Amino acid sequence: MIIRGEDIIIKTISRVLVPFIQLYALYVIMHGHYSPGGGFQGGVILGASMVLLFITHGYAEVNRKFSENIAVLFSSIGVLIYSGIGFLCLLLLGNYLDYSKLYKILSVDPAHARSLGILGVEIGVGFAVMAVMFSIFFDISTGGVSPDDEEEAE
Amino acid sequence: MEVTLLVQAADDAYRILENARGQAVELLNTATKLTSDTRWMEEKKIEAVLMGAQKKKSSLQNFVVTFLMLFAFWALLSGKFDSFHLSLGVVCSFVVALLGHDLLFANVRVGDIRVIVQRFLAYLPWHVYQIVVANFHVAYLALSPKMPISPKIMRFKTKLESDISWVTLANSITLTPGTITIDIEEGEFVVHALSEKLADDLNTGEMEDRIAHVFMEADHIYIQDVLDVARIFAEFR
Repeated sequence: MIIRGEDIIIKTISRVLVPFIQLYALYVIMHGHYSPGGGFQGGVILGASMVLLFITHGYAEVNRKFSENIAVLFSSIGVLIYSGIGFLCLLLLGNYLDYSKLYKILSVDPAHARSLGILGVEIGVGFAVMAVMFSIFFDISTGGVSPDDEEEAE
Repeated sequence: MEVTLLVQAADDAYRILENARGQAVELLNTATKLTSDTRWMEEKKIEAVLMGAQKKKSSLQNFVVTFLMLFAFWALLSGKFDSFHLSLGVVCSFVVALLGHDLLFANVRVGDIRVIVQRFLAYLPWHVYQIVVANFHVAYLALSPKMPISPKIMRFKTKLESDISWVTLANSITLTPGTITIDIEEGEFVVHALSEKLADDLNTGEMEDRIAHVFMEADHIYIQDVLDVARIFAEFR
């Protein structure tokens, strides 16, 4: 498992940078249907910001903000958003992920509904990718055993 | 006979005086201890109240400032100012600020952020000037045929107190050509300097003073503070 680092420069710089990295990740997700980027890329950046915090501040600090259980929950929620929008299109008599059919419930024209549908799917993908990336790193760095469990075993 | 009596009387008087003095000292000590105890307790109480209020206020203030900075960053990135994208920005900045408002401004005291930003902006031109000067010096070292360098590693204890000021000093030193911060070990900087002059410049501690001034740390007199006070004195006169 990763030991809490003591390099104060790296710690402080990453502390200051993490909020901006996270906001940048959300920007990449939210503008995915206009510009390069999208759910996957933004999700990876978001996951990377959490990994950076994990590396520099250690397990306890990250676990307080974003525990492994929440990561698992978020990955499920992300997939749920994605497939939920897909199935909603099926229910509205379109194909799977046929966003333009969403105009019936969103009260906008089909083109705009398509844009919003893509945005929704991007958010779902972003959530899932972020949580899964973080969860993978979490498992690798702790060896699958969370330090809390270890303490209890001792 | 009379002399013996006199001596005895003097002796007695001396003893009595000594006793009285001892008692008085004891009394004073007790009094001081009591007052200091009560004062300590009262100070503690006031401090606790102040700290509680400060923590609450600083948490909210940190949140608001973080939110505003992140939203400005969002507007800079996005470049789309229709209501849809701006509201997305508000939501995203809110979420990130909620998650990370204790990250950006950890260890900053209440009400200091604006002053720190102002002083930091005032610090930048001086630092750029230092970089230019050091650039010329390093160019001279590199170009002169004798190559008069004397690389060395120096250590010095800093009087700065918070991690952010340590990091500012370390990065300022690294940004200045010819000097590199290798490590910070519990308040002791390990710096590599390329020549005697660069090391001397660092040893004068002006950079440290200015950064202490920016982050309002280390209770000693700064040049800028003296200038500020001088103006007030002049007005009084």
